[in-house]
Amino acid sequence: MAAVMSAQMRDAEAPSAEPVGIAIEGVSKAFGPVQALVDIDVNVRAGEFLSLIGPSGCGKTTLLKAIAGLMPVDAGRVVVGDRVVSGPGRECSVVFQDFALLPWATVQSNVEFGLLLRGVPAPERAATARRAIAKVGLAGSFEQAYPAQLSGGMQQRVGLARALAVNPQVLLMDEPFASIDEQTRRVFQDDLLSLWSKERKTVVLVTHSMEEAIYMSDRVVVLSPRPGRVHQVLEVPLPRPRELRDVRATADFARLVDGLWQILRKLQ
Amino acid sequence: MVLALRGASVVLFLILWEWAARVPVSFNFPTPWATLVALFALLGSGALIQATLTSLQSLLLGFGAAVAIGVPLGLVMGVVRPIGRVARIYLDLLIALPTAALIPLVILSFGINIVSSAVIVFVFSAPFITMNAYGGVRDVRPRLVEMARSFDVSWPLLFTRVIFPGALPMILAGMRLGLSRAFLGLIVAELLLSPFGLGKLIMASRSMFEHDRMFATVAWTLLLAGLALAALARLETRMLRWRP
Repeated sequence: MAAVMSAQMRDAEAPSAEPVGIAIEGVSKAFGPVQALVDIDVNVRAGEFLSLIGPSGCGKTTLLKAIAGLMPVDAGRVVVGDRVVSGPGRECSVVFQDFALLPWATVQSNVEFGLLLRGVPAPERAATARRAIAKVGLAGSFEQAYPAQLSGGMQQRVGLARALAVNPQVLLMDEPFASIDEQTRRVFQDDLLSLWSKERKTVVLVTHSMEEAIYMSDRVVVLSPRPGRVHQVLEVPLPRPRELRDVRATADFARLVDGLWQILRKLQ
Repeated sequence: MVLALRGASVVLFLILWEWAARVPVSFNFPTPWATLVALFALLGSGALIQATLTSLQSLLLGFGAAVAIGVPLGLVMGVVRPIGRVARIYLDLLIALPTAALIPLVILSFGINIVSSAVIVFVFSAPFITMNAYGGVRDVRPRLVEMARSFDVSWPLLFTRVIFPGALPMILAGMRLGLSRAFLGLIVAELLLSPFGLGKLIMASRSMFEHDRMFATVAWTLLLAGLALAALARLETRMLRWRP
């Protein structure tokens, strides 16, 4: 699959936009009496792959939605590039855990959806969507299929293609691999890494998998549970590209995952 | 297999009917054969076609209005929640109401003509069509709306590309329910209120003790309703091809 994707990358389109950084400054958020996030300060560097991890209910998805502009914050602010977030913006695309595909639309139309909403004319939309479908390794016989005809892993590839089609500078991923089986997940993670190394996007990944966080990220932000605070920020000094070596089999990888586990265990 | 079972059930039904007519349950009760003969006689004389055309006018007028008003109303109720919360009380009442009780009121307001049959058809079917459209909007997955919002969707596009297609399966199911209610309303109206069309034919045959003709007209009405519902069901499958 990775080989297919790199072959299709060569006839790629316009260079992707320069990645931008994200500054999360003193962000707090409450839902009624429940304090979800307290005074979060995180800086995501331009082009960085950053993971948010923490026990369930630590507000990691809430923080991701705040960056996406899908949820107003009570205090503090989020700055994406040089825009203070007050609603959804063009820099960011979101990939959802449950894929959020339109069940009545074909793969092609689903991938075109973001472009349609941004007023891209039809012929350009179709061409851009086809390139995005090729990028995620679905090109060929799937364009006219409906989501229900695809496996979970393939549906999420469509979700990723839709996010990439609008050429965002920031990719926000909310547990994208959580509802995909283990074997498919590993291949998909590698494909995402090789795509990321070519596309140079800033990625924020919400996950509850320690292996995934270590394997994918430059840094891992550990949030503490209710109320969510930044507990610790972990550097992941594993060499890249990780997808081409057997990073998961190395002692360094095991040591880093164990280190993360020791931190999370105390937080439970 | 299913086809064989269906066929067998029809045969069994006809046997039971024949048996019931011979016992006889009542000497007025016609056999299937007599009913069939009467049906062809009615078709041949043109009386049945004439009545059908008259009835279809009321039906299409009433059902068409129910769709044209019910679907948009249900959509508005679903999208503008305060309107939905208020209007659904009245809808619940209309659905629970024994609709035939409205007939004197309709006669007083519209007189005895095919328009008042259409009004009854409308009252029978519109509440269900509206309720389903409302339910359809409320059933749209919030996650799809959130996804569209993440692309900074405009209101018209959110409605036409997410909310309406999301509500469509329930809207179509509501139209099917509404159509069967429309046939019910049509016959009730024509029996109890305006002596036109198929209802008039049923009444006339009954008063002349021509029970075979009466049965034939009822069977014909059932056939029409069945065909119309099947056509709508086909349309539904075609429009919702994406469903697994």
